Amino acid sequence: MSGLIQEVKLFGYNIPRIEGLREKARASFWMPTVKTQAWKYTKLHSLKVDDFVVEPSKFLEEIEGKEIEEHCCCGENCHQHGESCSCGHHHEEREKHECKCRNKKHLPFAAYELHFENGKFVPIYPATPSGVEIMTLMEAFAIGEENHLLGKYIDYAKYPFAALNTAYLEEGLFIHIHKSAKLDKPLALINHTYGGQENLLVNIRNLIVLEDDAKAELVEYYHYSGEPKSRYFNNIVNEIYLGAGAELDHCRYQNEAYKAVHLALNSVRIKTQGIYNGFCLQKGADLGRSETQVRLLEKNAKAEVNAAYLMNGWATLDTTTDIEHLSPETYSSQLIKGVVGGEAKGVFQGKIYIAQDAQKTEGRQLHKALLLSDTAEVDVKPELEIFADDVKCSHGAACGELDQEQLFYMRSRGIGEKDAKQMLINAYFTDVMARIHNIKIQEWLQNEI
Amino acid sequence: MNTPLLEIEDLYAGVAGKEIIKGFNLTINEGEVHAIMGPNGAGKSTLSYLLCGKPGYEITSGVIKFRGKNLMTMSVEERACEGIFLIMQYPVEIPGVPVTSFLKYAVNAQRKYHNQPELDTMEFIKMLREEGRKLGIDAEMLKRPVNVGFSGGEKKRLETLQMAVLKPQLAILDEADSGLDIDALKIVAEGVNNLRDNKRSLLVITHYQRLLNYIVPDFVHVFADGRIVKSGDKNLALELEEKGYAEFVKDK
Repeated sequence: MSGLIQEVKLFGYNIPRIEGLREKARASFWMPTVKTQAWKYTKLHSLKVDDFVVEPSKFLEEIEGKEIEEHCCCGENCHQHGESCSCGHHHEEREKHECKCRNKKHLPFAAYELHFENGKFVPIYPATPSGVEIMTLMEAFAIGEENHLLGKYIDYAKYPFAALNTAYLEEGLFIHIHKSAKLDKPLALINHTYGGQENLLVNIRNLIVLEDDAKAELVEYYHYSGEPKSRYFNNIVNEIYLGAGAELDHCRYQNEAYKAVHLALNSVRIKTQGIYNGFCLQKGADLGRSETQVRLLEKNAKAEVNAAYLMNGWATLDTTTDIEHLSPETYSSQLIKGVVGGEAKGVFQGKIYIAQDAQKTEGRQLHKALLLSDTAEVDVKPELEIFADDVKCSHGAACGELDQEQLFYMRSRGIGEKDAKQMLINAYFTDVMARIHNIKIQEWLQNEI
Repeated sequence: MNTPLLEIEDLYAGVAGKEIIKGFNLTINEGEVHAIMGPNGAGKSTLSYLLCGKPGYEITSGVIKFRGKNLMTMSVEERACEGIFLIMQYPVEIPGVPVTSFLKYAVNAQRKYHNQPELDTMEFIKMLREEGRKLGIDAEMLKRPVNVGFSGGEKKRLETLQMAVLKPQLAILDEADSGLDIDALKIVAEGVNNLRDNKRSLLVITHYQRLLNYIVPDFVHVFADGRIVKSGDKNLALELEEKGYAEFVKDK
């Protein structure tokens, strides 16, 4: 068996529902090989080693009364004043102390922030408006709020890393937006990974449920600080349920350490009039995949799955989509743009499936990439499976280089070559960025390019 | 005597192994306006690209000095910062880059080169609008991406605006009149003339004498087969207009 599946005692080992899910997932996990179609372009050799480490359960440690480090960086007040606290820092005053050991990243815009550190949720909850419920997934299981939704529609035969994620089911949040509830600012899941712990395997599972007519914006931000060569594996699964008329703007930004692995699966189910507007910027990691599966279940369900990727060096960044139109008059649109330099490789696999009775449906897909070097590579696999006869569908793919005439023009005005290239790269992403509804999020990501 | 602004001595150059400039000599002093006229295919555009350092254009022998410095080893952007500006015959479109931010970036890049502080954004925008107004460029146009969807006349006016804002020592006009109607031509010429003083110089490369009615040159050179074959004052341009280039073009 792969070294990724290990024996570890997790919270809820005595709760049949949770342990049952883990059990099934453990048995279902399989490692894709070079012959696996879905992983043909994105090679997984960096995972085929036995040295991944799973940290012990924070939940169990708390229950067992193990002493937990308490300091501001984990959101808990220090109980010792005028002396060193358990994190090894000297704190003068309770109110004013600033912990420098970890520079927790905040977003440059107002958001309801929820933080994870090395894959462990930091239990501080922002004061969200009524109708918005946020709790750890384990809590949701314990009090029966999870409603047997978790894992219900994920096929492990197709998504082995979702099986891996479920095998370690523990960390992650249950976000429940009640009927017609609306958020005035985005919810932001900020995932900090710090150097020091080598080969950490992290599994985070978020269950996000928007009831009918609920509306929310969700930001996911993965970042890293510390020793640049640190290697770890963040394996993320988001299960998203949108009720009738519910709207979710979901923006993911992956900026992991350059030796890291980041695999993510977003599984989205949309009922009538529901709208999912997804965007993902991938910039970090040695191996990154952002996979989005959308099921448009009922009439007038809409989804946009847009993405941008930008890399150098030897990285492989993969954007994979699978949009299923299961009802008539459903709509989907995808715009994916990438800029690839060095010896890096961009992968796009985009599938649109239109069921036989899904008439009057519209599915659009466009992938464009800019190659900055002769050794950069992009592999594109569009797949259209259309069983209805009255649909509008399109797909396209294009690859190009930076325009030398544009570059000369800009330089002839005094702009240095490097800056001119950067401006052209920024300009290249303008249209895909414009698909992010929230201007502040748009500006934030534009500045990150 | 002052160092000439531009000195070109016995220049041989070409593109993709094909020799186009063959023994070219020209000296431009501060404040002078030179016109280079010549038939199609004489190498006029090649000359302007060589001065700007466009990649792909290679010098085989000769010297180009700008204010006494060797121009040939400078990058495109260094030459621009040193004060060379080319009004291009066919300005390229740059989708996604708005005129205002493009120009602000260019101005600040040049200021940085000269160790000057960056311009305040509000100040810059005010200045840009003022200069734009003189050229019939409204605020709406300044928000659009560089040259995208601009008419031929608008593109040339934008080139002129960039020149007005960057205030070069030597402006090279490469067929600045191509594609312009007479009103647009006057606006561009006026913009160029506004920049003229006893320090700044112009090199006007043109096919037709028409533009020289508005930008009156001190010197006119006939350019054929890669070099200057005759020089004179502005009357030479009128003569050329009448007789054509036939006497300068060798039968091949």
